[in-house]
Amino acid sequence: MCKQLARILIVEDEPMIALNLEELLVSEGFAIAGVAEKLEKAMGLVDQGLCDAAIVDANLAGVSASPVASALTARGLPFIVLSGYSPEQLPDAFRGALFIKKPCRPNQIIRALNSMILKP
Amino acid sequence: MRNEPPEGLILGAQNDTLRVQLDEAQELLRAIQSCEVDALVIDSGTGPRVFTLQGVDAASNRFRGEILAQVSDAVIAIDDDHRVTYLNAAAERQYDIDLGAVLGQSLSKVYQTRWLQPGDETVAAIALREGGAWRGENVHVKTNGRELQVESSVTVLRAVAGEPAGLLAVVRDISDRKRTQEAVRISEIRYRRLFEAAQDGVLLLDPRTRKITDANPFMTRLLGYSHEQLVGKELFEIGLLEDEDASREMLRKLKDMHQVRYEDLPLQSQGGQHKEVEVVANLYDENGSAVIQCNIRDITERKRVEEHNKLLMAEVNHRAMNLLAVVQAVAQQTARGDPVTFVERLTERIEGLAASQDLLVRNEWRGVGVLELIEAQLAHFKDLIGTRVLLDGGPAQLTPAAAQGIGMALHELATNAGKYGALSNGEGRVRISWQVAAAEPKSLFLMSWSEEGGPSVAPPTRKGFGQMVIGRMVEKAVSGMTTVEYRESGFSWKLSAPVSEALEPVRLTRSTWGANV
Repeated sequence: MCKQLARILIVEDEPMIALNLEELLVSEGFAIAGVAEKLEKAMGLVDQGLCDAAIVDANLAGVSASPVASALTARGLPFIVLSGYSPEQLPDAFRGALFIKKPCRPNQIIRALNSMILKP
Repeated sequence: MRNEPPEGLILGAQNDTLRVQLDEAQELLRAIQSCEVDALVIDSGTGPRVFTLQGVDAASNRFRGEILAQVSDAVIAIDDDHRVTYLNAAAERQYDIDLGAVLGQSLSKVYQTRWLQPGDETVAAIALREGGAWRGENVHVKTNGRELQVESSVTVLRAVAGEPAGLLAVVRDISDRKRTQEAVRISEIRYRRLFEAAQDGVLLLDPRTRKITDANPFMTRLLGYSHEQLVGKELFEIGLLEDEDASREMLRKLKDMHQVRYEDLPLQSQGGQHKEVEVVANLYDENGSAVIQCNIRDITERKRVEEHNKLLMAEVNHRAMNLLAVVQAVAQQTARGDPVTFVERLTERIEGLAASQDLLVRNEWRGVGVLELIEAQLAHFKDLIGTRVLLDGGPAQLTPAAAQGIGMALHELATNAGKYGALSNGEGRVRISWQVAAAEPKSLFLMSWSEEGGPSVAPPTRKGFGQMVIGRMVEKAVSGMTTVEYRESGFSWKLSAPVSEALEPVRLTRSTWGANV
């Protein structure tokens, strides 16, 4: 899959972080499949099948994003879990994902996305 | 011869004298028989002579007297009229008296008796009359008023014919013993009370059998076993230790170290309730025999609180990490602007984030009032509020997310107004309004920031961080819409968002409930 075509879904309730991620991804040549602050919106975007990978905040204003993780896993879509929690504090649905602890460096995210998307 | 008394009269007088002498002799004989006389002194032609009457008996009586003088208990003899006939040295010391002063005197010159129980005196009298002896305790009040707790052994003394002739008492001062007993009794009561009332379980065990010999009431409450069920059981039988081997192991450790401590022992009570307990077992010596005391503390509640605290700490950590991620994003965005003002801008923005965070924490994440958010974000223009910064709106509680987003927007708006807008000169004014407007399908929360009287306004040439914050960022935070106008008269910003996104649900207070009923 070609990197330039990769559409990334951002699931993040913190608008400042979401916008910053969006800018970062765009500047790195990714396409934005959508930005969801809430679970329902995120589920809708996953169901539309318009994304190739996702960055998911584990906690959306007190609501667990594990249904999004399960839906992504079910569709075989790779995703990064971005969270202030430690990995062992997260529900099982996030186990298969690549974990990045908040706060993180931008290039950590880019490297992780590239490794997921460039995988054959 | 005529003046001499008649012969018959003389014989009568001689007869009287002889009768008196006979009476005296009989009395003397009685006294000798009843051992009241040790010796006789006879006036003879060669002077007075002493005749001991009892030979070996007298010597043994003296020996007895010497023994009585040596014993530490007071020995007192009285006659039938309660007059003192004998006192030993211990009695002199015990009652602070002198033998010479009380011999032949009433016993009351030595002490007065006070009985401990109302019936005691009668019991003693009956025992003496019927059995010839009494043994018991009472109080002797000395002539100086001081009281002695005593234990007496009293025997009836009998004359030769067998009739009572007095009493012999051996009296022991047990005041010290009584005091010690009382102290022990009080101590026993005190520790009993501790044992009974303790809010920790206490078990006493016999180290030889490892079986429970006593359990306090708390222990029965903790486990749901009755006292009878607990006594005679081993610890593993009531679920405190896993099995008999663990019981043996505890005993071995106790012998080595005299104390064993088990933390976090999970325990199942009779009713099936899960308990967390902490057990401290000690091996003590009780007057030469060993005893194990186990203190069992129910730490279920403490564990629950610890668990809760752990969750809270994890939550605090998560929020801190999230906030740092926000700060990081703000820093990255700020870095896109003028490098010269980067540090100043970033510092201001972190200050704004901190002010909102402070309010959220103070309100326990249950939202922030619009007014308090404005006051926090416009802290630098505090003095202008009411004069050049006009606030217009009722009470409204923003959700945490809205407070954070709108807080950042207010910070950017105020910074811009201070640098280029209505608050950058001496007369410009800002009006901040907010309200809830009924609308279909959803009620809207409306907020606006309008400037006038500032320097003439021109739209910015470049979309910077500030534009992003008062635009897309705050729109995302409240799922709302913003409009910005750069009119000649001044800059204005408007936000509209569904009430359900921006405001905390109105909580029904007691008075509103009352109005509904």
